[in-house]
Amino acid sequence: MVVPLAVSALLGATAPWLGRRLPPATTVRLLTVAMVGVALASGFVLAVAGTLVVGQIPVVAAEGRWSARALASGLPVPLAVGGVAAVAVAGLLLAALRRAALVGRDLVRAARTCRRLGPDVDGLVVIEDDDPDAYALPGLGGRVVVSTAMLRALPAAERRALLAHEAAHLAHRHHLWVQAASVAAAANPLLGPVARTVATAVERWADEVAAAEVDDRALVARALARAGLARTGARRRSRPLALAGADHAVADRARALLAGPPPRRRALAGALAALLLVVATAVLVTGVDTETRFEAAESVYAAGH
Amino acid sequence: MTVNGRRRGALEQEVLSSLAAAGRPLTVADVLADLGHGLAYTTVLTALTRLHAKGALRREPSGRAFAYSLADDPTAMGASITARRMARLLEAGHDRAGVLARFVADLSPEDERLLAGLLADGRARDGELEQ
Repeated sequence: MVVPLAVSALLGATAPWLGRRLPPATTVRLLTVAMVGVALASGFVLAVAGTLVVGQIPVVAAEGRWSARALASGLPVPLAVGGVAAVAVAGLLLAALRRAALVGRDLVRAARTCRRLGPDVDGLVVIEDDDPDAYALPGLGGRVVVSTAMLRALPAAERRALLAHEAAHLAHRHHLWVQAASVAAAANPLLGPVARTVATAVERWADEVAAAEVDDRALVARALARAGLARTGARRRSRPLALAGADHAVADRARALLAGPPPRRRALAGALAALLLVVATAVLVTGVDTETRFEAAESVYAAGH
Repeated sequence: MTVNGRRRGALEQEVLSSLAAAGRPLTVADVLADLGHGLAYTTVLTALTRLHAKGALRREPSGRAFAYSLADDPTAMGASITARRMARLLEAGHDRAGVLARFVADLSPEDERLLAGLLADGRARDGELEQ
């Protein structure tokens, strides 16, 4: 029963390392699938642990027509742990639903904004703004929004790299991966670091697509550097206070581009897939074991009445 | 439809970006000079003509050719206000849903130095190649 939780902790601890070693597209796909699977599995085992304890409450047992004593005998879960599990699973389910609602709300907002942005050229909307900025927005096939200040900051070849990067976000529906990962992390907080790894890897994935399209890794790295410097410079001028949320993401991406194409690492990806299989097996075993336990308790109840 | 490995519609986006960055009307030759090597004159002309036909650009005679600029869209100002308001809305608080995918995040002072160094290196190498 502890397998899904142990695997969650393992994924959480190794995610940054995995993100550095696996190709970004593999990182995003594999880790997000793993997160959703493991979050469901851990939710399931917590629910089972909770049910086994709640099932021992006499009123519940009578209603379900099973023997509370038979259910309690040889129980793999201590009473207190089961109680905590029951409360935790309810709380986490609520957290996941809240997160999903938030994602839905922002997707609607993004789609509404896409509609209001007005005419586009193959998805591109240029806005008049002195703040150098560029981003992709899903909805209505997606929009790439770039400010005139950002376009002025970059030479033509680097503008092409930027446009390719943002188009890649939309073409590969990157937001869906990031959002699935964030919902899974809400359902299982041990997966928090994995969700952050997925969000970072999505940017690397778009960088790789752009590098392939312009056929020049160093060009994409220079575009990142120039765009980052332009944006940070403009923001410092408008708000001389320390910048919030500054991390090493942009420098790391530039470094990764200059380091050359990422190796495939089939063995590592295979190991992750095998780990998921272990979790699936553990869930199956827990499920079958619990069903057997309840059936036994029901037959004891039937014999006594 | 694709030019030099570009995805569909990419060249039109680049041409539009070129005009927006210049901030003044450009002829086909100007755009060609900005976008650089590997493109044919007719390719750029086709892209400009297509953008003009879509209503994204307007053109005025300039010597024997046309000079193109972004169509003065009355909603353009509205679009930048919409975009700014939305960006603030989607980024408020720590509860961001990852809808908005920004090209670059803010840099730490250390990364600023590092990336400025990267650009300086590139220039040094280009210089060597030219000599």
